[in-house]
Formats: sequence, structure tokens, C-alpha cells
Amino acid sequence: MKIDTLFIDKAIPRDFETDYIISRLKTDPQWIEDSREVYDFINDADDPVSKAKKTLYITHNKGAVIKECPGTSFYTCCDYTILHTGTFCTMDCSYCILQAYFHPPVLQYFAGLETLGHNLEKIFCQDKIFRIGTGEYTDSLIWEKISLQPKFLVETFARQNNCLLELKTKTVNIESLLPLEHNGKTVIAWSLNTPDIISSEEKGTASLKARLEAARRVESKGYKLAFHFDPLVIYPECEIQYKKVIHQIFEHVSSENIVWISIGSFRFMPKLKQIIEQRFNHSTICYGEFITGLDNKMRYFKPLRIKLYKQIISCIKEHAPDLLIYFCMEDEEVWEKCMGLFPKKEGELGHILDRSAAAHCNLNSNFL
Amino acid sequence: MSDLLCKINILDIDLTDKRYKISFAEDDITFLAHSIKETGLITPPVVRPLNNKFVIISGFNRIRALIYNNRLYNNETKIVVYKTKPDITDCSCLVKAIAALAFKRPLTHSELIISTRRLYQFLDKKQIAKKSAAIFNIEFNVRFVEDLLTIGALPDPAFELIHSGNLSFKSAKRISSYGENIIKVFLTIFSKIKASSNNQLEIILHIMEISARDAIKPESLLKNKEMQSILFDENKDPGLKTKDLRAWLFEQRFPTIFKAHQMVREKITSIKFKNNIKFLPPQNFESQNFSISFTAKNYSEFAASVQNLNTALENRELKEIFNQ
Ligand code: SF4
Repeated sequence: MKIDTLFIDKAIPRDFETDYIISRLKTDPQWIEDSREVYDFINDADDPVSKAKKTLYITHNKGAVIKECPGTSFYTCCDYTILHTGTFCTMDCSYCILQAYFHPPVLQYFAGLETLGHNLEKIFCQDKIFRIGTGEYTDSLIWEKISLQPKFLVETFARQNNCLLELKTKTVNIESLLPLEHNGKTVIAWSLNTPDIISSEEKGTASLKARLEAARRVESKGYKLAFHFDPLVIYPECEIQYKKVIHQIFEHVSSENIVWISIGSFRFMPKLKQIIEQRFNHSTICYGEFITGLDNKMRYFKPLRIKLYKQIISCIKEHAPDLLIYFCMEDEEVWEKCMGLFPKKEGELGHILDRSAAAHCNLNSNFL
Repeated sequence: MSDLLCKINILDIDLTDKRYKISFAEDDITFLAHSIKETGLITPPVVRPLNNKFVIISGFNRIRALIYNNRLYNNETKIVVYKTKPDITDCSCLVKAIAALAFKRPLTHSELIISTRRLYQFLDKKQIAKKSAAIFNIEFNVRFVEDLLTIGALPDPAFELIHSGNLSFKSAKRISSYGENIIKVFLTIFSKIKASSNNQLEIILHIMEISARDAIKPESLLKNKEMQSILFDENKDPGLKTKDLRAWLFEQRFPTIFKAHQMVREKITSIKFKNNIKFLPPQNFESQNFSISFTAKNYSEFAASVQNLNTALENRELKEIFNQ
């Protein structure tokens, strides 16, 4: 979606970073003192979510720059670290939780590369492995064409050896990353889905073919890769379609360069359903066989999840028996039945992922 | 209020003109007629002179009762009424009609809907909301007026269903957002069953979701043989039809969950737990915790239940339930 309104916080200095964005956006900025102007502008629209996707607000991050991923006690969490570089997204996936997460949703870009650098330094000097990602509250590469932030992050992470940077995306915005000296510390990750789901539920995202082609290109420049099958959507013959996607991954890239593949099925806060019905009236994504999970989110009936997971895992294993596959937010029964193991102890899954991160990205294994 | 108390001839009342009648109920007026005969008319009806006749504004039952008495006892044909001024507006008459009933008893949902729909010919939503306390004896906000008007746009059979309690206010509001054909589907369904408001909403939800998922029209779903056999079985009680319809819709909406529940239920039944032993699978099969409970008044009852559980340990079905 094209940005048609640009608000900039008056507290942001007019420096190279901001000028770079302004010059590329070709939209006259409105300098504002109070963020309420942005909220009001968005809330006044009939469809605030769509409005928010076209309204960029450049501001400072007033909260924590680095935070731990909020897991739940019922489903296994991977101990991920979030680098908070912005919020919301210009693409428009029907199932996107961010539509219901922020009130109102605001497309924010957090300026201040220096602040980002200072916060990262505090992490870089720790004797611990970190897996850090920017794709939790936004897509990691939506601003790649107009901002210096992705370049800054890749180059900053290249200078240390205890942290992996994961840039998770559904775009193919990789051009500026290709020539960078990344020192193997950046993993570029794509969320994948079947072409059916991409075309029906992931408006404005790159096609599967384009994503895999982009993966091939970054791999050729030495970047490590990751893939996320999340959310898996259950529909007639979806198993066949997901297997086709898996075959295509390995036609495009080498399994040795894949740090991990995560799997998670579609789950949603009940209030998201109404938003999906209102904004995507052709979507049938909410009409699967959902039950209320232990975390009060709607989840597919467990036997259905297990059935699909088993097929996907065995298909991946056929191509790459040693590749690390993990579940995002699943419980002991699912792990046991699908993987034959369960990282029961606190931090165990995180440790397994850290090991793969260290091995693939040449991190200091003494910190494991 | 400057209505004139006067006597008019009962035969001059146009009984066919019910433009100000907002109540659905056709009450039995025998007692009222008897009371009028014994104690006289306590509150006279209100009528509007129009085209050499009188149109009833309020007091439909009282006038019916007077006519009844007139036929039975051949009483005099003159009755006491409040007669409005001839130049009174239609809106004022309607307001009088609504207020007369609303200050006697709370209006039912169908009466509120009909009254608001008629008032909307003369007043806008904000005006209705502003005057609601004086007219309806209850304060509305604009949103509620909007809801009443939305439901008021439903076809007439909807009001009878609302009046009879077959269609709740919430369900009426929900179906009013659909197209004409879909509305007809639900009016047909709710004319055949008797369900609580929550169950009505569940039925609407399941029908709409099955239709969306399977890319069929709700009209086609209504034509489904099984659905027809549930709804149009004249020997079946409406409550039972509701139960069967809900079960059938659940099966269509959640086929795998339905089968899993059914299978576990059958297995539990075949284990034949005795002595009030309750064996429950995890809710939605999401957690792994089964629950087993029993009560015992004394040691021998306790021992009998434990014995029964011990015997069940070797049961194939029990093992299957845990290992599936
Ligand atoms: S790409 Fe991700 S962040 Fe963007 S709309 Fe889709 S799910 Fe949301």
C-alpha cells in the first residue's frame, strides 16, 4: 500500500536518516507536536485499519527498544528477543493480529539509529547468545526501499559475535542488503504459505515464487535463511499444497543455509474474527474447526493440527533430515506426537535454537 | 392536552382503521366488558374525528368491550370518549397512542419497533431519542433508535415472531443486516422452532459460517433434506426441533470435532462405569487432562467404585481413549 500521509514527530531531528525517508516517500511531511493528531486522523476514517496502512508516523520509540517476546505459559515459547523498530505494516493480511493489537493501529517508524545502536551495544557485550528479530510488531523489510535502518542493522550485527539478527518478511525488499558486509550474522527469513492462501489472505505481499527467488538471491550473497510456516491454514487438500511449497523451498535454496523452519497454525484472539469479517468479507479463514485454546485464543482442533504438522514435518525431513524444525506456540502433546520430543525445561527450546544460531552464524559457542 | 370529554355514537367509530394501533395483542375482553358493566368506564378511550367518523387512538380493547356489552345487553349506543381537536396532526395522534400504552405497561420489543418505525415518518432519530422518555416512558439513545429502525425494516412476519418470542431482539438485529432471501430463510427457521436467544444466535452463526465456508447460499442449506426433515416434522415439538437442528448444524460446522466427541462418548458408554462414576475427556481435547469423579456415602460404596475403576483398567476402549 502506498503511503499518502506522512506525519513526523517535531521532536525528531532533521538529520540524514529522516531526510533519506522524506526524499524517497515523495509525500509532504506534516510536523506534529502531539501524536494524538495521528490517532485522530486515523480514527476519523470509516476503516481505520486501512487508513493506518497508508499513514506513516515517524517518531521516537518511547518504550523499550529491546524486549523479550511475550510467550504464554501453556504453549512452548522460543525465548526470542524483539528489537522494536516500528509498528504495523503496509501489507494487508486478513489474519494479521496487528489489526486488533493496537488501538488504533499506527504505522510507526522509530527513528534514531544511534539509540538503536546504543541499546544493541548493551546486548552485544553480554556473555549470552541472543536471537533478535524486528518482525514481531511489523514486517522487517517494509521500509527497506526508503530507510537506512535495515542496512544499519545488518552492518551493526556484523561487528559482534553473540547475536543473530533475523529479518522476517513477506516482501522481496532485499536489494540494498545484497552488497552489505553482513558477516553471516543476519538471517533473512520468509513467512511462507501456499499460493492459494497468499492470493486470498495476504493482500499486498510478494508471491511465493518471488519470495523464494529473493531467498535464492540473498543466499547467493552468503546470508543464512529461515522460513516460517505460520500461519498454516487448514483447507481442503492443503497438505498437498504445503508439500509443494516445501519442495519448492529446496529447489531454490540449500538446506545447509537454513537455520530453522518454524511451524504454527492459524490462531487468533476472538476479537480478530469480527475485524476479518468486516475488512475481508470474502475470507473464510475463520470458519475452520476452531476451539478455544488454553490461552483463550481460537486454535484449530488439536487432531487436525497434529495431522497437518506430521505431514509437513515428514516432508521437510525427506529433503533435510537434520534441519531444525520447531513449533511456535504448541504444547507437549503436539511436540511429542509430531516430533517425538518435547523441550520441557524452561529455556530448552531456546537453547536448541541458540545452538543452531551459533552453528550457522558463527556465534561464540562458549556462550551456549 | 385539550381533548374534549364527550359522548359519541359507537356506530360512528371506524373499527377498520387501525393506524394508531401499536399493540399486537388481541386480548380477551370478556372480563373487561364485565368490569365496565359493573363499575362503568373508568378511563374513556381517545378518538380522532376524521371524515365524519372517529378513528381510535387509544382504548381499542375498551371499545371492543363496549361493543360486546352493547350486543349482549342491548345497552345504549352512546359512549364517553376523549375527542381530539379536528386539526390535530397525525404525529400527535401517534404520540398519544404510544404514550397511552407505554405509561400503562412497558412496551414489548415488537411494540417498540412498530412505534419507532411509525414515528420515524414524522421525527428524525435524534428527535425520537430526545422525546423517548415522554413518549415511551423509557430513555433511548440514538443507537437504540437506529437498532429499532433497522429491525423495523424487516418484513412483517418478523414482528409476529418477535411478539411470540420466537425471534429475539438480538437475533432480529443480526438477521436484519442480511439480504432479503437470507432473512426469509431465518424467518422460516424461527417460525418452526422455539429457541433461547443465545441458541438462535448460534443457529444464525452456524448457518452463515457453513454457507460461507462451502460457498453455498443459506437458501440452499435450508433446502437440505435433513434440515427439512427436522424443521417440517409436524409431530415434533418445537423445542425438540431446536435441539436436533443445533446438533445437525454443529455436525456440519465442526465435522471432525463432532466425530471425535461422538467416538469418545461411545467408548465411555461401552466401558460401563458404575456407581455414578463420571469420566470426562479434556474440554475440546485441547488439554490432556481427563477427569474422573465419583461420590461415596460409605466405605463399601467407595470400594465398589474403586473396584469398578480397577476393572476398567484392562478395558480396550479406555486405553484407546487415552492413546488416540
Ligand atoms: S506481512 Fe505480517 S505484519 Fe504485515 S500485514 Fe501481513 S501478517 Fe501483518
